[in-house]
Amino acid sequence: MVVLSAARWLRSRLTDRFWRVQEVLKYARHFRGRKNRCYKLAVRSVRRAFVRSTKARREKKRFLRALWITRIEAASLEHGLKYPAFISNLAKSQVELNRKVLADLAIYEPKTFKSLAALAQRRRQEGFLAALGDGKEPEGIFSRIVHHH
Amino acid sequence: VPKTSLTSPPWPEVPKLPDPVEEAKYHAEVVQKVNGMISAGQYGRLFAVVHFASKQWKVTSEDLIMMDNVLEAECGDRIRLEKVLLVGADDFTLIGRPLLGKELVRVEATVIEKTESWPKINMRFRKRHNYQRKKIIMNPQTVLRINTIEIYPCLS
Repeated sequence: MVVLSAARWLRSRLTDRFWRVQEVLKYARHFRGRKNRCYKLAVRSVRRAFVRSTKARREKKRFLRALWITRIEAASLEHGLKYPAFISNLAKSQVELNRKVLADLAIYEPKTFKSLAALAQRRRQEGFLAALGDGKEPEGIFSRIVHHH
Repeated sequence: VPKTSLTSPPWPEVPKLPDPVEEAKYHAEVVQKVNGMISAGQYGRLFAVVHFASKQWKVTSEDLIMMDNVLEAECGDRIRLEKVLLVGADDFTLIGRPLLGKELVRVEATVIEKTESWPKINMRFRKRHNYQRKKIIMNPQTVLRINTIEIYPCLS
């Protein structure tokens, strides 16, 4: 006898509803309130949590860079230099250390950071001297500075 | 002549730099002293700043490093990390501009494990538009252990 469709008592029933619900609730167990127990509330909270974690992964890089910059600024102020002066003079002296490493050196290797600050300071002064020229008066009649004695 | 607001320029006065000849002598002395210290081995633990896998790492010996990509080397291979930016000990630091020479520093590392990261979840959701996408990403990771950092007295 050929049977083309299944008999009526063989229904396709959902048997693993428990595990499908647990898959979502396992991410919500540390939440506060009823959203750590009730599936309907948990689904929404878990979805928002995932979206927020994806966005936060991109913003973490911005936070960390701002943190490193704050730390380097504090350390260079201890040595008498401001952050823009420090970073620009280090870059002009062809020292290509990034902010993460500079912040680590400022915390764990104070002597090395002091030497880097001295290097930046020296390069800054050399830059000033190169920009100021010889200190003589400029040529020309109208650009001569008049001295009253 | 009394001082007015225009007697001196508005920028702060720059102190004069020391004499270049004397400076050169002083530099040569310092370089010789550091060379002597290196060849005598009077340094404790060395640390180095290494540029590897497009990131800079501050590294000592017996250090673990994990990078978020694949390395074409088997587990247990010894690797030499070139591209050293800075080497330091307690009394002296060697700053590269931007890199230090290969005959000066040698950083050795071993590949310990190559795994995948924990499953990170990427989810995009737009409200009121029935749009959500969930993706599970597992990046390959490699763990290196830095064995040694050596310096040789080749300064000039």
